Amino acid sequence: MKPTPEMLKQIMPFLIPLIVVELLLLAYTIYHILTHEKYKRGNRILWIVIAVVGMQFWGPVLYFILGKEEE
Amino acid sequence: MKQLIAFTKKESLEIVRNSKLLIIGIVFIIVGIMNPAIAMLTPKLMELMSEQLEGAGIVLDEVTVNALTSWQQYFKNLPMAVLVFLLMFSGILVGELQKGTLINMLTKGLNRSKVVISKFIILTIVWSLCLSVCFGITYGYNSYFWDNSIAKHLGFTFICTYIGGIWLISLIFVVSMFIKSSTGVASVMAVIFLGKDLIQMIPGISKYLPTFIFECGKLVDGAGKTSDYNRVIIEILILTVVNIIAAIYIFNRKNI
Repeated sequence: MKPTPEMLKQIMPFLIPLIVVELLLLAYTIYHILTHEKYKRGNRILWIVIAVVGMQFWGPVLYFILGKEEE
Repeated sequence: MKQLIAFTKKESLEIVRNSKLLIIGIVFIIVGIMNPAIAMLTPKLMELMSEQLEGAGIVLDEVTVNALTSWQQYFKNLPMAVLVFLLMFSGILVGELQKGTLINMLTKGLNRSKVVISKFIILTIVWSLCLSVCFGITYGYNSYFWDNSIAKHLGFTFICTYIGGIWLISLIFVVSMFIKSSTGVASVMAVIFLGKDLIQMIPGISKYLPTFIFECGKLVDGAGKTSDYNRVIIEILILTVVNIIAAIYIFNRKNI
């Protein structure tokens, strides 16, 4: 059985806010990574990869807990 | 009182400016949306997989989804968000001691107890916001798609998880007194929070531990009575006060 349009319609009310919020978080994290030179651990490429791979929310959360430099 | 208000203001500004409030808010929003979404998707996924499952000899009946499925997801996913909360804010006191930014204020005459109390107040406010947002989103979706009335004692379980969270926050301060690095505090809090699932496996003992309060999700299905939780609620409230008093007592005598 293939996903039907009707099924997609049912999931839409969840999918749209979820995607918006997750992209918002990812965009903010990537912006933060790119505008900072130094990190507590790791380097820029590592953190971008982590943020994108774990984009649901673990990636950004890991960056803000472990990678973000304290000013 | 003036000191308390000023320091609380400083703490709230700090949490907004280092964007921790934003991140933790988004995490709780994501978890809030995910609960009903997963509940909604489960039967669809089962349908998609039904052909393969039939090949393996498993025949699926009609899977029904209602508000209860979504609430079960809520109580399954909430610990994840709480863990993020603990990891994110466990460095609130130790981080500042490490950086040495607190020393200036303490030598200028800031009362040490005010530091602990205002940080506790701020974390409690953030926790109240986060939990209400997560609970509210799940509740809203559930009442839109299904019917919330089949879930029992929702208000009671909300209060249970709420005071459970406050107890964990007070624990952060006690742990901060004994460990010097924020990573250390974070790992101790994670071990305490994840270790509760291991200890729950020992029969008979789980009822007496404060972490029993996080089991309250079972009430929604109608398993157990609210009176089972009376003792643990009193235990938690006493422990929270004791934790805060102990943290202040040790902090007053600590060499910084």
